Amino acid sequence: MALLQISEPGQTPEPHERKRAVGIDLGTTNSLVATVRSGSAEALPAEDGQAILPSAVRYTEQGVEVGYGARAAAGEDPYNTLISIKRLMGRGIADIKHFGEQLPYKFSEDNSGMPSIETVAGAVNPVQVSAEILKVLAERGAQSLGGPLDGAVITVPAYFDDAQRQATKDAAKLAGLKVLRLLNEPTAAAVAYGLDKADDGSDVDDKTIAVYDLGGGTFDISILRLSKGVFEVLSTGGDSALGGDDFDRAVAEWMAAEAGLGTDLDAGTQRKLLNAACAAKEALAAETSVAVAYGDWSAQLHRAKLAELLDPLITKTLRACKRALRDADLTADDVEEVVLVGGSTRTLRVREKVQEFFGREPHADIDPDQVVAIGAAIQADVLVGNKSREDLLLLDVIPLSLGIETMGGLTEKLIHRNTTIPVAKAQEFTTFKDGQTAMAIHVVQGERELVSDCRSLARFELRGIPPMVAGAAHIRVTYQVDADGLLSVTAMEKSSGVQAEITVKPSYGLEDSDITRMLQDSYANAEEDIAVRAQREAQVEAERTLEAMLVALQENGAELLSESELAELERAMEALRLAHNGGTAEEIRSRIDELNALSEPFAARRMDASIKRAMQGHSLDEFDKP
Amino acid sequence: MQQNHFEIFGLPVSYSIDRQALAQRYRELQQEFHPDRFAAKSEREQMLAMQYAAQINEANNTLKDPVARAAYLLKLAGVEINPEQTTADGEFLMQQMILRERLEEVREASDPEAELEDLASETAQLFKVQEQAFAQALEHSALEDAKSALLKLQFLAKLQRQIEELEEDLLD
Repeated sequence: MALLQISEPGQTPEPHERKRAVGIDLGTTNSLVATVRSGSAEALPAEDGQAILPSAVRYTEQGVEVGYGARAAAGEDPYNTLISIKRLMGRGIADIKHFGEQLPYKFSEDNSGMPSIETVAGAVNPVQVSAEILKVLAERGAQSLGGPLDGAVITVPAYFDDAQRQATKDAAKLAGLKVLRLLNEPTAAAVAYGLDKADDGSDVDDKTIAVYDLGGGTFDISILRLSKGVFEVLSTGGDSALGGDDFDRAVAEWMAAEAGLGTDLDAGTQRKLLNAACAAKEALAAETSVAVAYGDWSAQLHRAKLAELLDPLITKTLRACKRALRDADLTADDVEEVVLVGGSTRTLRVREKVQEFFGREPHADIDPDQVVAIGAAIQADVLVGNKSREDLLLLDVIPLSLGIETMGGLTEKLIHRNTTIPVAKAQEFTTFKDGQTAMAIHVVQGERELVSDCRSLARFELRGIPPMVAGAAHIRVTYQVDADGLLSVTAMEKSSGVQAEITVKPSYGLEDSDITRMLQDSYANAEEDIAVRAQREAQVEAERTLEAMLVALQENGAELLSESELAELERAMEALRLAHNGGTAEEIRSRIDELNALSEPFAARRMDASIKRAMQGHSLDEFDKP
Repeated sequence: MQQNHFEIFGLPVSYSIDRQALAQRYRELQQEFHPDRFAAKSEREQMLAMQYAAQINEANNTLKDPVARAAYLLKLAGVEINPEQTTADGEFLMQQMILRERLEEVREASDPEAELEDLASETAQLFKVQEQAFAQALEHSALEDAKSALLKLQFLAKLQRQIEELEEDLLD
């Protein structure tokens, strides 16, 4: 990495060096990494030329293998080869029982409530497995771009709930990636097609797009509106446990029944049947009929039979399309563009049914496996600062309602699904006992009325409420959902202004201490010096902080700061620079904290100034009156 | 900065609203303040941007929804509505009961879809009448009348949702 360019306020800074940013599609079946080079986005291939990295991780006594090799070993070594791990992200052990029969792994529960899988290399959880995939992709990106990455946009199904998004972000952290944004997969696909530009290159005024995304393990439908460079997600829907894997399963079950194999099959047989089913399904995109065999049994599978096996599953997806359209106050006729995403949209029957439903031919020119990574790369390029700011803005919605548990196990919705994020909602609670100093709150996500039918996200305990008579305390709890769709909660007792303490216990997730521990474990395995790694990360953050501060000072430091404030800020920056050149990670971090605290009033004044500027020219007369 | 929802978008404080201007200003402001625009700024600014963007979203959601907008205008005028409160207008309640009975019997109608469409357009008409009543009452600072119109709007909005749900069921 080049040395940090330091310039005094008022001077012209050196042109910023181009940042290294990638888009990553962390898929159920396959994963990819892409980047923007010389103005165009492309998926990055591995040394063997393959862009796709199968999302398969095999644990052996010698180490970890990710990709094609691991996937090939799934049949012979099913317990140590983990595939479709994305289905388990942010899930609890109880969920696994739902679709557990289909997964051959040996599960146990660890203290985080997350399932953990026994392998020859010890127990691993889904976040760790996903981190292994991300590490390979990050390394590929760094190799290709010639240095460590400045940031990554990672895509998630639009349907992912808070726990699943948080698990994805945790996996990135574990893999040492700086996440610029978690981006919804369908939004990324629409970006990849550049649907915001008309054929002559001019901005499109207003257009409605449906993105039909059928991957290996998830289905998403998103209805987007495009207007002058702004992508707005109007609604999303789907099924986080429906995909091409289910197609394979339907075909495999038919094969097992036809071949008279019974239903009690061992893991190896299941895997072999699924592989044969998958191959037959793929062959039927080009052929009208294909031979299938298992052991002594063989038969012909025709397109019509495949359609019969798949139609119930495809119908499920179309029902979700109908619901998403309704949520957006639209009908299928209003949709002007349909985009196909995900390897399972190669299945001819899917294309036929989608075309029939929307009454128009869908876009399928970009490889449906790569389209999401490509869109993510384009957005990463914008967010990291390589591309001018006017280009692209993505407004996302929260896919599932957020609520809290009330009396009798019922849910009270606080933030409704398909609300544009970021969003904040406040709610007031009071005590019901004299002298009560603590209170428990249970946050859930989902559309159903009963708490037991929703997904438990976290339990909060409010402590430190000043003792008062029952009903006198007013505790204001604020739920904030950020642009990544992640929830955070703060609480305050209003009459005393006391900030209530919150202890968050994610229902199926990791606490910060878990991540630290796993990071340490992974360093131990990699024989990497943890202190060196920590220092390098702190240095990168110091550079980022200093650069942000320099730009801010240049923009309006002179205008918004007194001379003494300016001098103080510059002193803190100098101290950070010194720590950056040779200080320990701890020293650097404490200087960063110092600078951040000192610059708080400046940040607030800058924000106020921007808001005033944005108001100008739009203020009506009545605002100018006192 | 403390601004009311109308001020954020530079719109006059009134029930009738220029939807197009709202949509356009909303997008302009998100272009400016969405957290993505602050990805390279300091943590503190990122936090402030997120809070302001959330405020913009909240304001937009309130203003574009006719019932939420009416409730917000009353709140600005100092009248809060209790969520459990219902209208005491007997004639209106009777009319509602009849509409609801018709909704329950839609499935038995000879042409359920046509009957549902009739019901939807009648409800929309009643909604419009109450909207006008609300706007006029507010303009003349007749807050009790405005409140009464708002309670009726809530009723009708709920009925509209039920009609839509049934429509969805029928289509399946």
